[in-house]
Amino acid sequence: MRINLIGFGVIGKGFARALVRKRTWLREKYGFQPEVVSISDVTGTVVSEGGLDLEKTLSSVERTGRVIDCPGAEEMTGLEAIREVDADLVVEVTPTNVDTGEPGLSHMLTAMEAGKHVVTSNKGPLALEFKRLTETAKKNGVHLKFEASAGGAMPLINLANEILSGDEILSIKGILNGTTNYILTRMTKEGTGFESTLREAQELGIAETDPTYDISGSDTAAKLVILTNAIMGKNTTYRDVKIEGINRITPEAIALAKEDGYVIKLVGTVENGELEVAPKLVPMNHPLNVDGTLNVATFQTDLAGEITIVGTGAGAMETNSAILSDILSIFRNSRG
Amino acid sequence: MRIGLDIELKDTPGQLVRALEPVSRLGGNIISIVHIREELTKKGRVPVHLTIDIENDGALERIIKELGERDIWVSKVGEVKKKERMKVILIGHVVDTDLRDTIDRLNEIPGILVADMALSMPNPQQETSALMDIEVSRPEKAKKAISELERIARDKGLAVIKSLGV
Repeated sequence: MRINLIGFGVIGKGFARALVRKRTWLREKYGFQPEVVSISDVTGTVVSEGGLDLEKTLSSVERTGRVIDCPGAEEMTGLEAIREVDADLVVEVTPTNVDTGEPGLSHMLTAMEAGKHVVTSNKGPLALEFKRLTETAKKNGVHLKFEASAGGAMPLINLANEILSGDEILSIKGILNGTTNYILTRMTKEGTGFESTLREAQELGIAETDPTYDISGSDTAAKLVILTNAIMGKNTTYRDVKIEGINRITPEAIALAKEDGYVIKLVGTVENGELEVAPKLVPMNHPLNVDGTLNVATFQTDLAGEITIVGTGAGAMETNSAILSDILSIFRNSRG
Repeated sequence: MRIGLDIELKDTPGQLVRALEPVSRLGGNIISIVHIREELTKKGRVPVHLTIDIENDGALERIIKELGERDIWVSKVGEVKKKERMKVILIGHVVDTDLRDTIDRLNEIPGILVADMALSMPNPQQETSALMDIEVSRPEKAKKAISELERIARDKGLAVIKSLGV
């Protein structure tokens, strides 16, 4: 299988590293021999029709941080690479944008129109244009898979759609953002204020320099939309979600909750067609009460009752567990 | 369902046990017994108030019938509505934005009662956090209480933290 890799940040590099690490294992276990034929970032593209030497590309990008500085790189954009470099599948892992969905949206649409499968972790395009993307995939007879976009390593979409395919999923409740869960957990354990705990999380590299996207609830909302559409067959968008962030939570509120047997968690819920992201009082003995950067989601199903899954929501290797599983599923399907 | 039963016993030993026996035999779960020996009724009987959980009306009718056969008078029978409790936290200038008005606006809605409240005020300049315990007569009332609280919160610039599930 030939792959165009679009985006070479934390997730893109993690993908290359995962392939290097698992090359022999993938061949022996599945007879799967993926070749990355192009890697693009915002600076340019490096191409090798016969398959790139991923270790060499990784070490040369490590030095300067830019794909254009790799030997033989061209000033070719990701979009051009998708159009011009022959491949079966595009891995789209560029930075997400929940306002326009770009550049990921154009990458995905162009890839599918060119008959290429798409595997992505990019939330923005899916949260904004889910229907258009899935219809484009259908029209062009290709797969669009995005397990990595919601819940990181937790196999939520595949769990619901494959393993629980006989159940109707009635509601989803979850903690889908590790950064906010870390901040709230620390505030609960240490009794600290929001601002100082956020600074601590930034120093540890858990929160971004600009943490708005996480703490405002936007990231959770984008993931909730993807889960709702993919699992419950809806056509919602990011704009349908009622969103409330965690920036007004006080240590006193957390202490009052604690005295009464509750913790405060940022929870995304979809129930009776309503999508909401808000801090909620969660009973201490409830399965959604997970600590630190962990994520968790509970499905209410018609036959199986409640099913809860806990896991790591972010991180290069964890996200690539989901990306690799999507690619393997396409590989198995296309072999019949 | 939960039932409240006012019964009247003859003022002789062993009557209470005679009254309870058919209740438990017919599947009733006794929640509480209030037995005041000093306050006899005009007819010289001992009033007892029972609260029981029971499966259905049929079982209740059989219990009342058996009590009658044992010369235990049933003076009042009624379903006890179980109240739902819901916790909510408000953050902001909860007191300065007329706390009395916030509580009144909730209490004005039939079936909703602010039953308890705990406040935490770090200092007068900073925002106050308040844990509110709201009693609702039916689960649907919880939604009503929340939407009114959200309206109040918008008017007064407060943040609302709801319980999971409402």
